Amino acid sequence: MTALTCRFIKLADGLLRGAQVTVCRVGAALQRAPVIQCIRTHRTNTWWDEHLTEDNASFLKKVVTEEYKQQTTDKLNPLKDEPWPRHEWAEGSRRVGLVAVKLGMMPVWTKSGERHVVTMLQVQDCHVVKHLSKEEYNGRTAALIVGGKNISPFHRPEGYLEVFRNAGVPPKQKLTTFCVSDNAIIKPGTPLYAAHFCPGQYVDVTAKTIGKGFQGVMKRWGFKGQPASHGQTKTHRRPGSLGPGGDPAKVFKGKKMPGRMGNIYDTNHGLKVWRVNTKYNILYINGSVPGHRNCLVKVRDSILPTRLENNKNPPFPTFFADGDKELPEDLFDEDMFQFGQPMPE
Amino acid sequence: MFLVHTPLSNMAACTSRVREMMGLLRILRHFPQNERLLSTSILRHAAASDGPPKFTPPTKPVIIDKTQKEASLRRFLSPEFIPPRQRTNPVKFSVERKDMIQRRKVLNIPEFYVGSILAVAMTDPHVNGNLNRFVGICIQRSGKGLGATFILRNVVDGQGVEICYELYNPRMRKIEVLKLEKRLDDNLMYLRDALPEYSSFNFDMQPVHYEITGDVPVSPLKVKMKPKPWSKRWERPKFNIKGIRFDLCLTLEMMEHAQKWAEPWRPYDMLKEYDTFSLEEQIFKEVQGKSQNVNSP
Repeated sequence: MTALTCRFIKLADGLLRGAQVTVCRVGAALQRAPVIQCIRTHRTNTWWDEHLTEDNASFLKKVVTEEYKQQTTDKLNPLKDEPWPRHEWAEGSRRVGLVAVKLGMMPVWTKSGERHVVTMLQVQDCHVVKHLSKEEYNGRTAALIVGGKNISPFHRPEGYLEVFRNAGVPPKQKLTTFCVSDNAIIKPGTPLYAAHFCPGQYVDVTAKTIGKGFQGVMKRWGFKGQPASHGQTKTHRRPGSLGPGGDPAKVFKGKKMPGRMGNIYDTNHGLKVWRVNTKYNILYINGSVPGHRNCLVKVRDSILPTRLENNKNPPFPTFFADGDKELPEDLFDEDMFQFGQPMPE
Repeated sequence: MFLVHTPLSNMAACTSRVREMMGLLRILRHFPQNERLLSTSILRHAAASDGPPKFTPPTKPVIIDKTQKEASLRRFLSPEFIPPRQRTNPVKFSVERKDMIQRRKVLNIPEFYVGSILAVAMTDPHVNGNLNRFVGICIQRSGKGLGATFILRNVVDGQGVEICYELYNPRMRKIEVLKLEKRLDDNLMYLRDALPEYSSFNFDMQPVHYEITGDVPVSPLKVKMKPKPWSKRWERPKFNIKGIRFDLCLTLEMMEHAQKWAEPWRPYDMLKEYDTFSLEEQIFKEVQGKSQNVNSP
């Protein structure tokens, strides 16, 4: 990742740094006094700026892929490396969530023949990356930082990669924090799977919404606009009045106006999990989820008070793939129609 | 497993005999020893034993035995299996395809095209006998994956009725092809503006026999339209309709005027190119491999 910075130098040491730099002389050709010159430089903190040869670059890529494969396989069996104590689920305890990739949507039918739409979220290489204790985080709850999809380390700064090196995990594209109760903390480096959620429970999904750019008031806030004809002069999609008249004599803060829409984090609450595919780690979640296809989303147990009953007795603190309990490839909700089963009436 | 197809001319002469032979052959199917020899000898026997003593050369039956089966049978991949050209993870399509194949193991979804006449039975809680049967011509097949749909059109008591059915709906009980044929177009929405006789089909229509080898018959029928205005301007080149008798309803000037909306660069637009040949091969193999029990006759 490079950042443009400005460096002030005196004219005396004017060695230019190559093609990236532009020099703006501030009209001081005539005077001999030391003039401060502004040079645009690139502050670089990633690997590629070491200008490696091709052989070295390909070797690095190979070595890094192998290293990360090794790290993933090491972490597959959490029992082997001194795991933290596991506690039982209690009322009021909060457990971790997952980071998933939004794949797409498809229809699903219930046993009574009703049709619902589900979004498919795939959990790709989800690992717990760091544990923050109550004191470190906010004084009230402990926190766990969870990372999503694996990415290459070559385009990320050193500081970002350090966190992953400490956990012994390949670098991830998205990091999110989950507030967790003390009995649900997990050792950094544990992998998280889709079986963490059971069919029939409710989740909240947070993601960055699709960016729509600068949008008018009708699309952004749902204003009605004005009629298309009957004498309207050049006014069909405008906001109309901006508020009351002379008494406040101002426009209130927060007035809904045109502006940039989308590309902000938004949460959809209370979405039911219909099905969990343990082979490909896919969650089938009711309805739609913010974000475009292949975007990373944060999934956690729902906090809606009416859905707390459905979230009782989940795999706590998470689902550990220890090998002793073999899950079937697909876990379905009771209401859902499974295609291999005989047809319902 | 093998099938014997006798040419139509012989069928009238020895139908009953051939039917017995077919019965025998079906039993003999389970003994795959000398399939070719068995069938030819039986048919020669059938042809010679009845009718006048005039020498009729033995018919050469078209035998499709196991080794040749894949090549001569028509390869049909239902269009909803082909994924659209999007930036979606192929894992999503493969998982959906598994579900579709599972559903096809339970319900037989036959091969059909736009222009074929289908009879569909769905479970309906509001009907006495629980099954709701509808017969109609398929005018459109749309949707990919599990949400694939097809629209059936028929004229019932003078009222045109179109019903959109989902192929993979669990309430679907039976899909029967009464007449398998293709039309000159992929989309027959213009039947709404055509004379009602082209969309009316009898509910008690009997299934017409169709071949499972060779090409699907393309009906060259050109439809007569009701007077304009139509629901869409079907004469415009963007619809590219070949199945309407424009000469009866439009003048030459109107046809030329419609050509103003022609987009002659469309066939050369590289961004719209989507070559599905390799994808189709791969998906066909996957579907054939997993759904053997449904495909066997």
